[in-house]
Amino acid sequence: MSRILRINTKEKTHSFETPSPDIRALGGRALTSKLILNEVPASCHPLSRLNKLIFAPGLLSGTPAANSGRLSVGAKSPLTGGIKESNTGGLVSQKLARLGIKALVLEDKPEEDAFSIIVIKKDSVEVLPADEYRGVTNGDMITRLWERFGKRVGVASIGPAGEQRLTAACINFADPKGHPGRAAGRGGLGAVMGAKKIKAIVVDDGGAERIPLHDPEAFKAANKKWTELLTSHPVSGQGLPAYGTAVLVNIINEAGALPTKNFRSGRFDYAQDISGETMAANIEKRGGVISEGCHPGCVIRCSQVYNDKDNNYLTSGFEYETIWAFGAHCLIKDLDDIARMDRLCDDFGLDTIETGVTIGVAMEGGLIPWGDSKAAIELLKKVGAGDPMGKIIGNGAAFMGQAMGVDRVPVVKRQAFPAYDPRAVKAVGVTYATTPMGADHTAGYGVCQNILHVGGTIDPLKKEGNVEISKDLQIATAAIDAAGLCLFVAFPVLDHAEGLQLIVDMLNAQYGLSLTTNDVVQLGISILKDEHEFNRLAGFTAKDDRLPDMFKEVFPPHNTVWDFTDEEIAKAKAF
Amino acid sequence: MGAILFNAFSFLQKQLKEKNIPCTNARISFSKGQRVRDVLMKMGIRDKDIEGVFVNGKIASTNTLLSDGDRVAAFPPGTPGPYRLLLGMVKNTPDTSGKKPNAG
Repeated sequence: MSRILRINTKEKTHSFETPSPDIRALGGRALTSKLILNEVPASCHPLSRLNKLIFAPGLLSGTPAANSGRLSVGAKSPLTGGIKESNTGGLVSQKLARLGIKALVLEDKPEEDAFSIIVIKKDSVEVLPADEYRGVTNGDMITRLWERFGKRVGVASIGPAGEQRLTAACINFADPKGHPGRAAGRGGLGAVMGAKKIKAIVVDDGGAERIPLHDPEAFKAANKKWTELLTSHPVSGQGLPAYGTAVLVNIINEAGALPTKNFRSGRFDYAQDISGETMAANIEKRGGVISEGCHPGCVIRCSQVYNDKDNNYLTSGFEYETIWAFGAHCLIKDLDDIARMDRLCDDFGLDTIETGVTIGVAMEGGLIPWGDSKAAIELLKKVGAGDPMGKIIGNGAAFMGQAMGVDRVPVVKRQAFPAYDPRAVKAVGVTYATTPMGADHTAGYGVCQNILHVGGTIDPLKKEGNVEISKDLQIATAAIDAAGLCLFVAFPVLDHAEGLQLIVDMLNAQYGLSLTTNDVVQLGISILKDEHEFNRLAGFTAKDDRLPDMFKEVFPPHNTVWDFTDEEIAKAKAF
Repeated sequence: MGAILFNAFSFLQKQLKEKNIPCTNARISFSKGQRVRDVLMKMGIRDKDIEGVFVNGKIASTNTLLSDGDRVAAFPPGTPGPYRLLLGMVKNTPDTSGKKPNAG
């Protein structure tokens, strides 16, 4: 049976334990959130010794199941002050699972200022001195750790932002090629790792056995169908591999929902210049990689390598959200400069959504001119330099808003809005308001249409039906996060009645269970209940589930406003 | 007689560009009584080539009667996004009902 590995970051000791019966069946987000609720005092300071940083592979991680290599990272968030689950690709999830580690829990914090790295292998766990890596960027960290411990070991690391314990700091993960383009991005988890003085975690599964499957034949059969489902669907089989998520720039702009100039309108005049189509054309022209996976076993392969005009590596995993945050939000139309900022964020270990929105709020306050990409790059570099201005930027949009004395600050629970305006896609606004995570689009991403009775078309500009759809999306997403599946499996699962059943079939074949699809829905609900309970204990109330006043302004081109009452919003949390 | 602002996205944009057919913020003329489908057909785009069309920022039918100044965009199957359902994009075939979205 897989075990929980606890590491005391103060004493530099570790212990393995058998999970108690109540958490034995949990994985991924279900496990991180349950452990945080059970073990972290909700009132604690997120950077204190009482907080815990938890890494848990999803339930299917480490098996041959397609797209199952996602890792859940959780803690009390220094950004929101509530519970946080941040989900990532990379190599760590599958390797932890193959080593039989159900969760890695970092506890306590050292009194001294010295950094350590954690090295986990089949027969050893070490906490080693690592001050030599102080100030090293995530890209260089991976290079150096792969040289030291072998190519393709799993690496999770923090950059200068995490070392400074800034609340927009993320934890970056090596992708299969050794780029730091994967991140547990949101909520400042890099600051928690920095507070525990852990610069990096290395996971080497050399010599590990394959994950035991209760019924290998049934698993193989279900996974075969599952893979076919993912590769034959036009979104996961064609659209995402060809254009990545950035294809959404044009689509969301056309829908009038692309937040432009700090959420003043839903259309950006230069959307074509920063679109997925332009990105793909540049890659074809210059070199780079159109399509690659964020973890082994990914068959969707929505990631890419984006090079500059001279065909030098600029960035990887160049996502829609990032392009929007540094692009339309800031009125920046130079895609290469946006890629440079994505790279800086990867290297410094900054959440690209939070940081891009922060730059826009700095523009709102007149710190640099709207649309000035060169000035934005220089501003961003201050984070890596440890400059006081860098600390303002690295602490996110709400902090920047206070520093600049402006009132247009797009955050919920102090977390910055992602790339969809809540007045033009209202169900997303309900998710921003009510997810325990703070403004987060992924919290309501997946849809299990048949099970959750999410049918028909919902008008995104009206209120009707949008609270219910947000609630159902949040439940489904929580369950997908627990399984360790990439959220983009939701597209084929949405369109095919057998999709969710195949996930259940694989779980049953792996663990010898007899789960039903309804059990999966119940799991999603239980995760959300745990997370809301933690936030309640931390002091959150209904007033924290509101969008800022700026969203009461009329939003062109559809000229809609955010018009939900507190009572209507509360229904998205009634399970 | 009138003109629309036309865009094609994703694979469709690439295909049209290869044929030198204007498809990014292109001004396209149409005759009185023409529908979205007529303009698309002229470019060689059939209903089965697309997953949906936007007319003035809302998902609409390919049967929509065009008005001067309309903004029209077409996209092929395979467009991701969390809001396929919310925006009305998720359908096996494009809407051919002829219903025009509300002005907005």
